[in-house]
This record gives sequence, C-alpha cells and structure tokens, in this order.
Amino acid sequence: MMEAILPKSAAVKSKPAPQKLVRPAATPNLAGMQAAAVRLPLFFVLTGVLSLLVSGAVLLAQPDLLAMYHYTPHLLAVTHLFVLGFICSIVMGAMYQLVPVTLETQLFSEKLVKFQFAAHVIGFVGMVWAFWNFNMAMVGAFGSLLTLGVGLFVFNLACTLAKVKGWKVIKFGIASALFWLMATVAAGLFLTASKFWNFISVQPLAAMHAHAHLGVVGVFVMMIVTVSYKLVPMFTLSELQSERRAWGSVALINIGLVGIFITVLFQEPFRPLFALVMISGFTLYGREIIAILRKRNRRTLDWGMKYFLTAIGLLVPLSILALALTWSGLPLNAVTMQLESVYGLIGLFGLVGLAILGMLYKIVPFLVWFHSYSRHIGRAKFPALADMYSVPLQIAGYWSFLAGLAALSFATAWSHATGIRWGGGLMVLSLAIFALNMGKILAHFIRPKIEPFAKKSNSAINTL
Amino acid sequence: MTASPLSDELVLETLRQVIDPELGVNIVDLGLVYRYVCTAGKLTVTMTLTTPGCPMHDSIAEGVKNILLTLDGVTEVDVEVVWDPPWHPSMMTEVGCSMTGVRNF
Repeated sequence: MMEAILPKSAAVKSKPAPQKLVRPAATPNLAGMQAAAVRLPLFFVLTGVLSLLVSGAVLLAQPDLLAMYHYTPHLLAVTHLFVLGFICSIVMGAMYQLVPVTLETQLFSEKLVKFQFAAHVIGFVGMVWAFWNFNMAMVGAFGSLLTLGVGLFVFNLACTLAKVKGWKVIKFGIASALFWLMATVAAGLFLTASKFWNFISVQPLAAMHAHAHLGVVGVFVMMIVTVSYKLVPMFTLSELQSERRAWGSVALINIGLVGIFITVLFQEPFRPLFALVMISGFTLYGREIIAILRKRNRRTLDWGMKYFLTAIGLLVPLSILALALTWSGLPLNAVTMQLESVYGLIGLFGLVGLAILGMLYKIVPFLVWFHSYSRHIGRAKFPALADMYSVPLQIAGYWSFLAGLAALSFATAWSHATGIRWGGGLMVLSLAIFALNMGKILAHFIRPKIEPFAKKSNSAINTL
Repeated sequence: MTASPLSDELVLETLRQVIDPELGVNIVDLGLVYRYVCTAGKLTVTMTLTTPGCPMHDSIAEGVKNILLTLDGVTEVDVEVVWDPPWHPSMMTEVGCSMTGVRNF
C-alpha cells in the first residue's frame, strides 16, 4: 500500500499537510449544473444581449428620445426593453445559476424555468410593443403574462432559498430582492390599471418614479450588493470581512427603499432623509467591498471584475444626484428636469448595465465552458476560461463604455441631440465589442477546441 | 503485462493535467489535492475545491478519476471531495502562487 500526502512535488517546496481529519462534503454541490440547466440560463443571457443591442440601436436612431423629458411612449418602450429584455433576462438567467452556487444548494425546479422563459419573453416583447403604441390595455395584458413568469421565477427561487437553513446575509438579500421584484411588477400592473380605468389620484409621474425605484434599487441593486458578497471574495481569493457590516448594508438599503417608495409616491418632504438612509447602506457596502479587496490574495483583477467594480463606484455620483433631486429647494428648470433622466441613465446603463457586462464576462464563459468541456476534464486538453475571449477587446469595450456614458450623461443634461448621438454611438460601439467577444465565447459552444493528450505510463515517466 | 509501481511524480504529473478553469492552474499546484492512497490498483484521492458550492464539483472529481484511470496498473479510482480543512491560498505551491498572481505568505 502506498500513501502520499499532498501538495508536494519535486519541482516545488513542500507545504505542510492538513493535520485535522478530513470531513467529507455532505452532499455533492453540483448546483443543478446539468446540460439542460446550463442551456436555459444561456437562453436568458442571449435574450438579454439581443435586447441590449436593440435598445442601443433604437437610441442611436432616435437620440431625441433622451433629449426630451422622459415621460414619452417611445422612451417608456425602450426603457422597458432595456429593463425587462436586457437586465431582467440576464438577472433571471444569472440567478438560476448563481443562487444555487452562492447558497450551496440545488435549484428547486428546472421545468418551471422553461415555462417562465416563455412567459417572460412573450410578456416583455408584447409590453414593449404596447408601450411604443401607448396601448395601455395591451400593456396590462402582456404585463399580466410577464407577472405570471415573475411569479414562477420568485416561487422557484423562494423554494430554493427554503432549502437553505438559517438566515445568512446572502439569503436575506436575495429574499429581499425577490420581494421587491413582486412588489415592482404588482406596482407596475396597478399603475397600468389605474391609467386605464382612471381610479387613483396619485400623480402619475410620482407613481412611475416610485415604481422605477422599487425595480432598480430593490431588485437590481439589491441583487448586485448581495451576490457580490459571495462573488467578489470568490473571484479575488478573499473573504467577507464583516458579516455585521454586510447585514447593516442590506438592512439600511431595505429601510431606505421603503421610505423612498412612500415619500416619492406621495411626494412627502422626507425624501432626503430616506435617501440618506439608503446612502448609508451603500456606504457600508462600499466599505465592505474595499475591505474584501484589501485582503484579497489574487493581486491582479481581471477586466470582468474591473467592469463590475467600476459599476459599483458609480453609486457615488448616483448618491449625490439622488440627494440633489430629493432636495425640495432644487429649482425646477430644463436642466434640473433633465437631471432625472441623467440619474436614470447612470443608474440603469451605468451601474446596473456595466455590473451586468462585468458579470457576463464571468458567467457566459463559464456556462459555455461547462457545456463544452467539463465532461472532457482528465481526458483531453482544452482552453481555460480566460482563453475563450479577447482581453484587448474587453479593455476597448470598457473605455468606450465609460466615455460613451460620460458623453451621454452630459449631453442628456443639456438636451444636446448631437452629443447624445455621439455618446450613444460610443456605447453602441462598446456593446458591439462586447457582442463580438460573446461571439468568440459562443464559438466554443458550437465548435469546442479539444485536443487529446497522450496517455501517460510509468515507463514513459521513467524514461524522462 | 505486469504494471510497474506508481511513483509520486507520475501521479502528480498526471493530476497536473486537471486544470481549474477559473484560475487556469492545475489542481496540484492550487493545493486542492490533500492526499492519495494506492492499494492493489485502487487509488483513493482526497481533495477539496476552492469554494464550497463550486459548480465544478462533479466535473473536477470526474476529471481526476478519468485522468488517473489512464495510468497503467490503476484499475479503480475513488475521489472524495472534502471541505474540512477548507482550502486556503496558503496551500498553493510556489508555482501555483506565481501562476495565479497570489501574494506571498
């Protein structure tokens, strides 16, 4: 009998072997990553990327949409295409993959994912068409189908969460985001119904802003905050530094959001107070991310992480804008009215959009790699994740995105149509670069690059 | 044919062909392989992964099994994935540290 304790090698210095008795993993944590489960998140991601390209193209073709106040049918249509088609599709696809991974469990039902995908796609495409034509009855009809899909999504993930004992901060954050997702679609349907039947007296713009905050902060930002408490340490080889600080951030964002929703909806004067509560939550979040990064063991941050961290950094200008916009003394003029659009633009395109692009550079290569290569581990040679896309393209996409966002924000604030076209053009260029890189990754899905390696034997080694 | 005995070098070099896709480093230099025991053609490998809940759990374990079965004289491979002791970057070899860009300890 022969026994070896590793790691050791002739080429490297030996490290002490673990002295404790090893404990087997309770259950294999495959996290539902069967071939079908990989394909489904990929469909969501592809739907998202397609919606992103279409929304970019529409803005490029009609830059005046951003140059005027944002309450117009076409801008509502593009916003919903971006939010539901791009962000929601990606978030849902990513959640089906990431929630089981972050909580170390398996997805409750894969079958429900297929039904939800159908309801989601038909629902959001129909809603975008209905908004474009400002047909509120059809917005309500397709919105109901979308809500059904959201219900399936929330049910599936809630049952997945229920399998995990105790209340870790990540579980609480995901549960919060699911709650806000249901609240957002319910508020959206209520808004549509009230517009159609004219039965409430709430100011429609205030209701729209309250609905938007529920969705963007409650769902997307909450998901980003929560998931990053697992993924940032995982990708940088670090650890969560303060569980208490993480809990504090999630709790303050939730409390702030309740307050913001009520005060924005009813136009109460306490908006800056709740904005400050929420900003305190973001401050705690930022401090925790900085602490995690300071303790990281992996010195070099890849560009996917740089996209993500830059997106988080946009919380700073967003918080300043939020405070300014909630201040009752803010003069009402053309520029300050446009600042609302800039706020939405940086929040949606900047914070959420860039964070998603960063995470896609981590998720899509993994999904494709898993589908094409995982079963060949130990049988053949194939590329690592970082070899599946072009880093120079990734860098070009990063800078053109930021330049485009800056140009778009300034041009929107000053209602400058030419500037918007240039800024939009830079962003579309960035998205085209992103699509090109995604194409390179997906090529491995269609035609995997597998090379067999030679069988090793003792005699072969002995001759070395 | 009589199989020659397995050497540490052979097993390690063979396991080095199993690469963690995210970090792009083999599982030996990452320090993921805790120990192995060979008894009459049966190899039992005890190893871990960089994070609990890693979706690569089954694929990497299967990969270890596949690659070791290519060795002459190995008729059976058992891979046990454990979480205790948890993996830490300090378990990496110097080669692993330099390949991942990890700080020195």
